[in-house]
Amino acid sequence: MSARPSAFGGTLRAIGWIGLGLTAVAVALSDFLARAPAGATGVGPMLEAPSEAHPFGTDLLGRDVLSEALHGLSVTLGDALLATLVAVLLGGLAGAMAARLPNPMSAVLRWLFGVLAAIPALLLAIVIIGLTARDYAALAAGLAAAPFAFVRAFDKVDVKSTHAEYARATGISSTTLLKRDLTYEFRDTLAQTAARALAAVTIILSTLSFLGFGSIPPGRDLGLMIAAAKASYLSAWWTAAFPALALVALILFARLAAGLDEGERA
Amino acid sequence: MSACLIEVSELSVTAQGAARPELDRFSLSLGAGESVVVLGEAGSGKEALLRVLGGFPEKTEAIAGSIRFGDREARSIAKRPRPAIRTAYLPSPQSKPFVPHASVLSQLSRVVARKLAEPPASAREEIRLALERLKGAPPLSALNHVPSKLDSVTMAWGLLAACLAQTPELVLADHPFADIGPIAVCALLDALAAEQKRLGFALLYATGTLQPVARFAGRVLVIREGRVVEEGNAARLASGHSHAYTRMLFKAMPKLDAERPKTRNVRGQPLLQVHDLDLAPGPRRREGLTFELRRGASLALVGEEGSGRRELAHAVLGLERPPQGRVVFDAVDLGVLSPGMTLRMRRRIAFITGADDALDPRMTLWDTVDEPLRAHLGLSSDLVAGYREAALKRVGLASYDGRRSVASLGAFDRRRLQVARAIVGAPLLAVVDEPLRGMDAFAQTILREVLSDFRTYQGPAFLVITADFTVAQALADDALVFHEGKVVERGAIVDILKAPKHPHTKELIKAVSLPNLSLDAAAG
Repeated sequence: MSARPSAFGGTLRAIGWIGLGLTAVAVALSDFLARAPAGATGVGPMLEAPSEAHPFGTDLLGRDVLSEALHGLSVTLGDALLATLVAVLLGGLAGAMAARLPNPMSAVLRWLFGVLAAIPALLLAIVIIGLTARDYAALAAGLAAAPFAFVRAFDKVDVKSTHAEYARATGISSTTLLKRDLTYEFRDTLAQTAARALAAVTIILSTLSFLGFGSIPPGRDLGLMIAAAKASYLSAWWTAAFPALALVALILFARLAAGLDEGERA
Repeated sequence: MSACLIEVSELSVTAQGAARPELDRFSLSLGAGESVVVLGEAGSGKEALLRVLGGFPEKTEAIAGSIRFGDREARSIAKRPRPAIRTAYLPSPQSKPFVPHASVLSQLSRVVARKLAEPPASAREEIRLALERLKGAPPLSALNHVPSKLDSVTMAWGLLAACLAQTPELVLADHPFADIGPIAVCALLDALAAEQKRLGFALLYATGTLQPVARFAGRVLVIREGRVVEEGNAARLASGHSHAYTRMLFKAMPKLDAERPKTRNVRGQPLLQVHDLDLAPGPRRREGLTFELRRGASLALVGEEGSGRRELAHAVLGLERPPQGRVVFDAVDLGVLSPGMTLRMRRRIAFITGADDALDPRMTLWDTVDEPLRAHLGLSSDLVAGYREAALKRVGLASYDGRRSVASLGAFDRRRLQVARAIVGAPLLAVVDEPLRGMDAFAQTILREVLSDFRTYQGPAFLVITADFTVAQALADDALVFHEGKVVERGAIVDILKAPKHPHTKELIKAVSLPNLSLDAAAG
């Protein structure tokens, strides 16, 4: 059973969920909040510092950075949600189910996913993209984050607990025990698992785009925006700083919503 | 009485949000070397008293009153002062005082080292010396295992030795031997009494049962709802000239009745047949165990922990395949069944255990009772609700909110919930493993009645596993007495009580007979 969070931990998680909610609202209203359509060049002078007309400044092609950051956030969040779904289903759910499989099968799966979880998720995502196509970056990020979620969900199931032994002694099958896990453990921690996966896949997706393996222009996510600002960053900090700030905010809110356990990995 | 060691005045403890205080203007004076037994039900305030005196009250508890240590000035307890005398706390192994991944010895050594401000190696030596002094205690090496590998008795000896190694002036014993068999409890209580005499520490012993009352000669405080009902020595309280609550409490204590009329032999079909069973692995060393349990009959397997009775119960449940012999349940040999078929057979066997973590703490009260019905029979929701309500009514849990989680229930309620879960399964056989372990007198009485009611109205055969002859007599008619892995005596319980033959049987009966407390007078 998940431990009851402290009042401080509960407040942090509430802040995380509120932040994610506000981010979702900003994404939903991005077309209204943005001052220019996605990718519109020459909206203002080149590399203009933040001003009243362009609060986040403009980039090398005269694009409004605020508008671009909003559109980029929308692309990033859309891809990240798809990847989160993949990570939760193939990681969290499959891990909880695999723990209740007959012993040799569950041991092999735990070993296999343990090995995969030990490989840096970014490298795994690049391999998957290499084997498929760049269009599948979201799927690749989800698959890359799944092993760690699998191991985490698997290890959370206490197959040798006294109550499981008691249940087996009264004729309760492993299927019913799995149903218990899904009804209580997985359901109660689903939001937390999803938030944790959202933070992980956002990092993977943005890094993929930054390295040129992710988002394909003209659709630009935040990672690609930061990569494009490499040429101007030293002279015009705002071109990369504001997209990076949006990315940091999204990841931070997701981590806060998942609960910042001490010593926990993403 | 010698000089006053500790004096508590007008102590009140109220948990956050509670309607009434756990302790209500409680006063106590304890002299050096004196022993006081605090007797009461669970939730009577004993636990709160020990927490406050030990200096570890809950943060959310509101505390009022004053405390004085020896000749020092009285201080307000609201300021939560640390004890100004050497105080040792003696918990029960059932309260899970150890973390699971370190050895018991290393954990005890750390506690003693911190208390004595000595290195762990010295503390370990102190524990070794304390164990050597305790008659019947295991050697130090027996404690060098993680808690899951140790039985309750060994852990209790370890906790006692660690407590004594602190050379305390005051020992706070918090139901220390509540979940242990009576022979071991006698040995532990004798050892504690002998060490108290030798070291001269004061003892405050919280309990819900009579064994400590019979063993220690000092005062007994009867406590109820945070207030002292009565105070006096054990003989006076048991005399019958005491407060009505005290008389009720003494009456509720389990006792042996050798004069009880013998029950009629059950003549049903054999339900469980055990043929030539030997549970010890390796080459055969002795004659196997053979017995039969008929439908509706009852049999108690009486023996101390480690005597082999639990292995037998596991073989009956089909959880372990015995190396030698056969177990036939309902005319089917469990040894030839596949794991899947064994699982199906177990649906007709109820299992009620004294382990408090037997039920899934995440589940709700209703789901816990519904699960066997849904999983085994696939009944409609209406039928499930009907059976569930009837079962919960039988065990006295019908008034509880069914959406409450098992984790929010107390040990007594969880035990009753196990019985409700057993009732809905309509079993042919109920394996009942130390069902009253760790319960106070009233809870034991109610559980005995709930289990007797289950047996009377539903008629399953009962296989009772216990170390306590009072439990065996309350729930079964016949008994097999186990000692060191073999049966040393068998027969009707009434006959065994009247004329026990084997020395171990005599020892088991003696351990639950309390001759210095005239219980019959109290009952009258």
